[in-house]
Amino acid sequence: MDFQLSGEQQMLKDSARRFLETNCAFEHRQPLIDNGSFDVTRWATLADLGWFGVSLSEEQGGFGGGAIETAILMEEMGRVLFLEPYWAIGVLAAQTIAASSDSLWSEVLLPAIVAGEARPVLAHNEPEARGTVEFVSTTAVESSPGRWRLSGRKSLVVGGNIADRFIVSARTAGAVEDRYGITLFVVDPGADGMTVRNIRLIDNRWCADIELRDVEVGEDSIIGALGQAFAALDEGHAHATVALCAEAVGVMEKALWITRDYIKMRKQFGVALSTFQVLQHRMSEMLIELELARSMLHRALAAMSSHTDARAAALSATKAHVGRSGKFVCAQSIQLHGGIGVTEEYVIGHYFKRMTTIEYALGSSHVHIERLAEAERKRAA
Amino acid sequence: MNFDIDPADLAFREEVRTFVRENLPPEMAARTLRNYHFLRDDQREWTRILNKKGWSGQNWPQEWGGTGWTPIRQFIFEDECFMAGAPPIDTAGFKMIGPVIMNFGSAALKQEFGPKILNGDVFWGQGFSEPNAGSDLGSLRTTAVRDGDDYVINGQKIWTSYVETAEMIFVLVKTDPEAKQRGISMVLVDKNAPGVTIRPIIDIGECHTLNEVFFDNVRTPVRYLVGEEGKGWTYAKYLLDMERAFSAEWPRNKRYLAQLRALAGCARSNGRRLIDAPGFAARLAQLEIDLQALEWLTLRALYERKGGTTLPVGSLLKVRGSELLQKIGEMQVEALGDHAAYFYADPRDQAVSDVGWPPGPAYAPGIVADYMYRRATTIYGGANEVQRTIIAKTFLEL
Repeated sequence: MDFQLSGEQQMLKDSARRFLETNCAFEHRQPLIDNGSFDVTRWATLADLGWFGVSLSEEQGGFGGGAIETAILMEEMGRVLFLEPYWAIGVLAAQTIAASSDSLWSEVLLPAIVAGEARPVLAHNEPEARGTVEFVSTTAVESSPGRWRLSGRKSLVVGGNIADRFIVSARTAGAVEDRYGITLFVVDPGADGMTVRNIRLIDNRWCADIELRDVEVGEDSIIGALGQAFAALDEGHAHATVALCAEAVGVMEKALWITRDYIKMRKQFGVALSTFQVLQHRMSEMLIELELARSMLHRALAAMSSHTDARAAALSATKAHVGRSGKFVCAQSIQLHGGIGVTEEYVIGHYFKRMTTIEYALGSSHVHIERLAEAERKRAA
Repeated sequence: MNFDIDPADLAFREEVRTFVRENLPPEMAARTLRNYHFLRDDQREWTRILNKKGWSGQNWPQEWGGTGWTPIRQFIFEDECFMAGAPPIDTAGFKMIGPVIMNFGSAALKQEFGPKILNGDVFWGQGFSEPNAGSDLGSLRTTAVRDGDDYVINGQKIWTSYVETAEMIFVLVKTDPEAKQRGISMVLVDKNAPGVTIRPIIDIGECHTLNEVFFDNVRTPVRYLVGEEGKGWTYAKYLLDMERAFSAEWPRNKRYLAQLRALAGCARSNGRRLIDAPGFAARLAQLEIDLQALEWLTLRALYERKGGTTLPVGSLLKVRGSELLQKIGEMQVEALGDHAAYFYADPRDQAVSDVGWPPGPAYAPGIVADYMYRRATTIYGGANEVQRTIIAKTFLEL
């Protein structure tokens, strides 16, 4: 075990911080937001920096790193409230495809993602799923041999507004929450029967809300084996969860230091706010929560190579902790700022908003604690 | 950064587990696993069992006669021993005054005390706190005045755990009453020296480990001064800092949570297991998450290289570790139901059959007494409010 970054990891972190701090200033991001939080030139730059390949193996067109390298990048992105859908495409979609054991589609898509030339987005989430990966009510019916017809609704598909294709999960067998019977289909956003609504999120990222009505696709659009997509989705979501938690650590850390600087500067009653012990202690609590969240991130990263149940438990514990501690840190950051903290113009409220969307993505703290509670009940049996 | 576990450390854990299984007397484990304070005689016996194996000085380098184990091995050892119900080693000797003597003391002091600490022949009381100097050690008043080859000590110490069965006391004294922290020195005193009076303090669990110690013209030889005069504050800070990675009391938290889990599986409430009562399992899961976060912050501190970070990790661990002990205790007490209100006296060295406990499940005695005592966790070792101030001042620079 080694908690210190290796030379290469430190270089990745340093270069990411330099690039993001130079290019992602909060004050200058409105045009980007107006453009669907996407800039095609910058996307190419991210590819040049090698960011889309950090956690893919060399056979997959990547650079041989793993979840730790992704976490390093995501933490830095959290610090600057990065808006572009790196997480959706470079982590969730890429890792799902990589885990699909479909060598054909992997060869087509993964090197193209790494090069910044393909932007596949996983259209998997549904309004009722609330973090349950196996929840798929969208259906795919074989209308004629080799032809499939997809119907259903996919919600909060982050980055869906700039997808060049969707990877839609649909049920080809089984009941709504069965692990068996889920299949992945590559679908053209402009296909007949697709209604894609682009929506700006409260944190100024963008997503798509997708309605599929009898969308026809051929057999060659299937990724992986028919009905067997759960394992790939589970793997992709594991990577996405740990990446999201890493982003949250970056969000919390930056919010904390912005607040620290603010209370040293802001005067009330003739003295700096930082002289009040009650505020000092509040900030100490924020630091404790931040560092414990970071420790849970380490725990999650350590569990990425464990077997499925142990990994799921570690990820649930981490997501639950990060959701809870992140809300505390970001809410208290607003509180310590006072009135300016609730203005749209000032930055600190945006950290709270980003933390809010993180908390409710991929299962809220409550959802994950309930999963762990269920495991406790079984364990006691 | 990588989180692969060294296979040699896994093998070490197995080795420790086997040793503990084969050498820890079962009746000693049974006594310790009931959460009353450990018995000094058990501690002495266990220290000697360990010393025979060369394992009593877990945190000591080999040149002092210790194991030379890495911090992670010390952590594994403590975890295994604690879960099995071994009594703790003498913190005051092994983790506090021992390292100070071995680092800063004279050759004569090292020779006199090193082997005795390792074999459990000398146990120590920690004479730091005073009635008017708790978290604020700078304002202590006990004095040591040089008189020929002796110091003459006058004053009072308080919260001195287990001193009634100790052989020696290490005392922070003022050798220069004018200077504040620079006037503090550390001296060793024979507990049985004339003028030393010990008065028990019964804690709110109705148990006795705490004491007041009065020094009335107590003479101790000048060779019992540790290091130099006026450096006592430096040594005290050194010993407190050395143990920072252990300040979450992680093994104790782990064992108590395991106890709670066992309780929740067998205690019944309204016709079902407590674990199946609405909300109970979720609260248990929350505590487990807190425990894991502490484990991984502890691991980070253990693996940290020198000069790695300025994060006051000991303070972070102290705050949350002590709070978690109290939270787990609360749920244990709740799990006892009616039996939480019954008074089960500490049997000390009496046979359980002679104690005359009120009826109740076998796991009930000890839990409430310990829960009561553990209100002290957020106070001792520097109150949590002091820790928060340290964090704010040193790291956040507020």
